[in-house]
Amino acid sequence: MSPKRPSEPRALTGGTAERLAAIVEAAEQAAAKVIDDAEEQARRRLAEANVRADRIVAERLRALADELDPPSTPRQREPHLRPVTAEPGTEPAPGPRSGAAGARLLATQMAVSGSSRAEIAARLRSSFDIDDTSEILDAILGPED
Amino acid sequence: MNLAELQSLEERYLMRTYRRAPVEFVRGEGALLWDAEGVEYLDFLTGISVCSVGHCNPAVVEAVREQAGRLMHTSNLFYTEPMVRLAERLAESSLGGRVFFANSGTEANECAIKIARKHAHRRGVERPEIVSFERDFHGRTYGALAATPALAANPDLGPMLPGFSSVPFDDPDALRAAVGENTAAVLIEPIQGEAGVNPLSEETLLAARQVCDESGALLILDEIQTGVGRTGSLWAYEQTPVRPDVLTSAKALGGGMPIGACITTPAAGEVLEPGDHGSTFAAGPLASVAALAVLDIVDEPALLRRVRELGAQLREDLLALDGVGEVRGRGLMLGVGLAGEIDAAALGADLLERGLVVNVPGPGTLRLLPPLTVDPDQLRRAVTTIEAALLSYAAA
Repeated sequence: MSPKRPSEPRALTGGTAERLAAIVEAAEQAAAKVIDDAEEQARRRLAEANVRADRIVAERLRALADELDPPSTPRQREPHLRPVTAEPGTEPAPGPRSGAAGARLLATQMAVSGSSRAEIAARLRSSFDIDDTSEILDAILGPED
Repeated sequence: MNLAELQSLEERYLMRTYRRAPVEFVRGEGALLWDAEGVEYLDFLTGISVCSVGHCNPAVVEAVREQAGRLMHTSNLFYTEPMVRLAERLAESSLGGRVFFANSGTEANECAIKIARKHAHRRGVERPEIVSFERDFHGRTYGALAATPALAANPDLGPMLPGFSSVPFDDPDALRAAVGENTAAVLIEPIQGEAGVNPLSEETLLAARQVCDESGALLILDEIQTGVGRTGSLWAYEQTPVRPDVLTSAKALGGGMPIGACITTPAAGEVLEPGDHGSTFAAGPLASVAALAVLDIVDEPALLRRVRELGAQLREDLLALDGVGEVRGRGLMLGVGLAGEIDAAALGADLLERGLVVNVPGPGTLRLLPPLTVDPDQLRRAVTTIEAALLSYAAA
């Protein structure tokens, strides 16, 4: 039996042309959807990455702020706690909220809130009488270029 | 219905708790308002610092519109995503702990007061006391009212809640003397709003933090007016050398939708337990999506920088005017101290006639709270209007 010959190309009837057009249109729509999905996925991943990056930055800045301004002593639940009275004649040790710590916390918080180096330096000079602000600013913002 | 008819119905049906200005606003867009006659006003009050992203901000409107078509309320017996996302965003942008939502600033302060009292009881304090500054304003519900000395002095509303005291404003020594082992919290505004825009000094803020640490009390900062970008940082405390244990927010947070929030450090966030507090409406989907849209706009370094720059320019321009003695505040929360015997109430009424909406929180002071999105031309227009009103006042 001789092999079946491929059928001769036929002229496209009106109905076939419409079907083909529909198939092409469907293919184009599918391709567009794939592109849209890919773009959406990329946008989502970028947004997620931005959120993660923002969170990491916030966590690091908060950790830095905690270091400068440690949370108060954990609250104890035993009743009738009284503040520890210093022995007579002993000077209280400088607390974490001394002027220097306050200046560093101020600088850190201003940096977190997006203040510029110049703005922070001006506040440190006016509020804490610190002439040379570079040490604090370098520690928080990194050295100036 | 015209203004006279509205006033007639008000007189018949509304309790007489407000003295309203004789204007009916019908539309707002950005920094502008229009009354029923079509007259345009420049709004430098923004509904008392509520519409900080401008009237009918398109992002807020769209968020509310979309949410209103899907789900408006379920109560706090169930989860809704906007509420949880908002809590994360508020905590992560501030103290890192937990959030309790309310419907207003005074309710946010009620939550803070509960936290402080319970925290104190856990430390063995039997009669916890909350210390505030004279002329502070923390709200009108009974707990917050008790911490608002000027209003708490009204004998007709007594008896007041016990356990509250106040000391002279910005007096660190008086604060140190008032805080002791029974103190549950120091509840203060970093910048007094209703009293006329009075910033606390850094010395006093540091003293407040120090005495709280020493006594075990909580430092609660009422940032209901100062928060959400008003002073040029998301929270006003970020421009100070202290961090609070508890922070309360409202007003601008919802961009016009009612919402309040009490935000804590991780430690203070562990105090309240199931049954201690609650709210039917708080942080419903509508208010929460509005707040998320507001934070998308405000929590941007470029906008906050612009608030600081525009605020500095506005301050400078105002100080150059004859009749202005001082300008207090930070960012776009400014109190204009009028020189001499200028009647601030009369000046405020004249400014309204001239199309500038401001507020007169007390004798001798105008309070300016323009939208954070205000443009420089609108700031210049406001300054020019105030200058004209001052000149007219001087000539009269």
